[in-house]
Amino acid sequence: MREGRWWRIGWRNLGRNRRRSIVTASALAIGYFSVVLMVGLLKGLVAEMVDNGTGIVTGQVQVHADDYLPDKEVYATIGGRDGADVAALVATLEADPDVAAATPRVYGGGLVSTGTATGAALFLGVDPEREPRVSRLMQSLVRGRQPVAGAYEVLIGSELARTLEAEPGDEIVVVAPAIDGSLGNDLFVVAGVFHTGLVDLDRAFALFPLDVLQSLIALPPSRVHEIAARVPDPWLAAEAAARLAAELERGSLPVAAESWMTLRPEMVEYANLSEAMEWVLMVIVFAMAIFGVANTMLMATFERRYEFALLRALGTTPGAVVRSVLYEAVALGAIALAAGAAITLPVLVWWYHAPPSVAWLFGETTLSGALMRPVLRVEYPWLMGVAAAAALFGTAVLAALYPAVRAARVAPADTLSGR
Amino acid sequence: MRTRSRQLTLSAAALLLAASPLRAQTAREIVDRVDRLLRGESSEGVVAMEVVTEHWSRTYELRIWSLGTEYSLIRILSPRKEAGTATLKAGNDIWNYLPRVDRTIKLPPSLMGAAWMGSHFTNDDLIKESRIIEDYDIEIGDEGVRDGAAVWDFVLTPKPEAAVVWGRIEERVRQDDLMPLWARYYDDRGELARTMVFDDFRVMGGRLVPARMDVVPADKPGERTTILYRELAFDIELDEAFFSLRRLQSEAR
Repeated sequence: MREGRWWRIGWRNLGRNRRRSIVTASALAIGYFSVVLMVGLLKGLVAEMVDNGTGIVTGQVQVHADDYLPDKEVYATIGGRDGADVAALVATLEADPDVAAATPRVYGGGLVSTGTATGAALFLGVDPEREPRVSRLMQSLVRGRQPVAGAYEVLIGSELARTLEAEPGDEIVVVAPAIDGSLGNDLFVVAGVFHTGLVDLDRAFALFPLDVLQSLIALPPSRVHEIAARVPDPWLAAEAAARLAAELERGSLPVAAESWMTLRPEMVEYANLSEAMEWVLMVIVFAMAIFGVANTMLMATFERRYEFALLRALGTTPGAVVRSVLYEAVALGAIALAAGAAITLPVLVWWYHAPPSVAWLFGETTLSGALMRPVLRVEYPWLMGVAAAAALFGTAVLAALYPAVRAARVAPADTLSGR
Repeated sequence: MRTRSRQLTLSAAALLLAASPLRAQTAREIVDRVDRLLRGESSEGVVAMEVVTEHWSRTYELRIWSLGTEYSLIRILSPRKEAGTATLKAGNDIWNYLPRVDRTIKLPPSLMGAAWMGSHFTNDDLIKESRIIEDYDIEIGDEGVRDGAAVWDFVLTPKPEAAVVWGRIEERVRQDDLMPLWARYYDDRGELARTMVFDDFRVMGGRLVPARMDVVPADKPGERTTILYRELAFDIELDEAFFSLRRLQSEAR
């Protein structure tokens, strides 16, 4: 008998107890749906963490003097005492195919005070034009306006603003130890207040125009601590950093280019853990499904034992019987997959474009130090969509294997004579 | 013979018993005396403070007034860039005056451990809040002749309830004139954090004082802050009203 016949027999056998076939296929389809959706959610969680963890301030790639990290000494500027051609460095970074934008930064620390209220803060000097292309920090403005390059204006975090009782328009004193040992101090106007949701940033960060902070801490314009770059696909950042490191090595500057994966290893660890969870999840769901399907197939083949006995009596080989049952399982898998994909895909697309808010459940929180908005975000789990489809077929076939072997072992004479 | 030896043992024990509290009392007194050495009931002085770091070195000239442990005022006389900058401690409040912007800012208690003017002194060092004997248990760790002088080595361990920065302080004091020679400050992990060395002992304002102090941080080789007393007067006429915000902001007395 030709192979195609066994396929047809397998397919037709599905129709013999439609209700049972539909229920079994539904179990597999729902299994597929849950795995793909849950993995989509896990991926959404990681994407949210990486987007915010790198996008709010860190950037995906950073270039520093090679001795800047981990101590972050104010003296360790790119190019050391002599500084560097900052514009050329920014241009080098932006020339990389994966880098969308780059911006120079200066760091400092000191006191901000309204007179009666004083707080210690980290100072970040940014290029007000370039910074928004790299990080979302300046877009987190909730009151006031952006500071202007060259103006003695500052953006402060919402918590810092609360401690200082300072609002946009207020005058504050900024005191910072300068690199020449003197005490830099000047009057600044609070241009605006930002709120990122990250307590550390909101409580202890003050943003200055780059040139103004440089002059406050006695750094010449050629000395900056960092060039931060945005790589739109964060997972390409490590390669971009390696390319930039090689590119910059050709210059004479002792610099280090690092991706967020090196700078924020805790996020990479979480992402790896989450990926491992995806596979565990798939194994659990389909391991549960396998017994349900096996049970149904066992019943179906038991009911048909007279047919199998007759087929065997008429000269059908045991292998052909096994195949007919397995083909039935494969056909069941195909129906289940079609149904599963038909419900999963629209739900995923809808969810991707309109992630539901769970603000009623919890507010903004953090994961591995990254901000998490209270939304259930999904990412398209393409690989898992395919892997789960394979697992679905595997489950169906594996579940049918034992019933198929039993069907092939039916003793024709005994069964037909009712013994 | 037996009686005699017993008597000896007894008297030795009696001596030991008697000696312990006496020695503890003495140790406390000596350390307290050293602690108050450069302060007096009230004082006024001019000092040079030389700060040497890996990246820069600067010398400040400061005028310092103090009254008890509650009040002090430090004004920078030079260099020109910082001249007029002043720090006032009145009770639990610390204020800084910045002449460049003509503003006075109040320091929160959390900044007491921060470096003062980039030196290796903290705000807390300059404006000592409490007397050392109130926060530390003091015992004599060792005594004997070192470098030709009879000395005591005191070990100061913080009292359980004391809110202090150091995990342990060791201090060597010369026996004949009760002059401190050095003090070593250990952090709470027991590692040496900094050493203070006293030198140039001379009579100023009617007292024998170390006119030179060097603070050397343990983790930054080559760095130091040196204090040189140029003028010093004790128990002068100062009252609490002197330590006012108005005084803080006035250019000079």
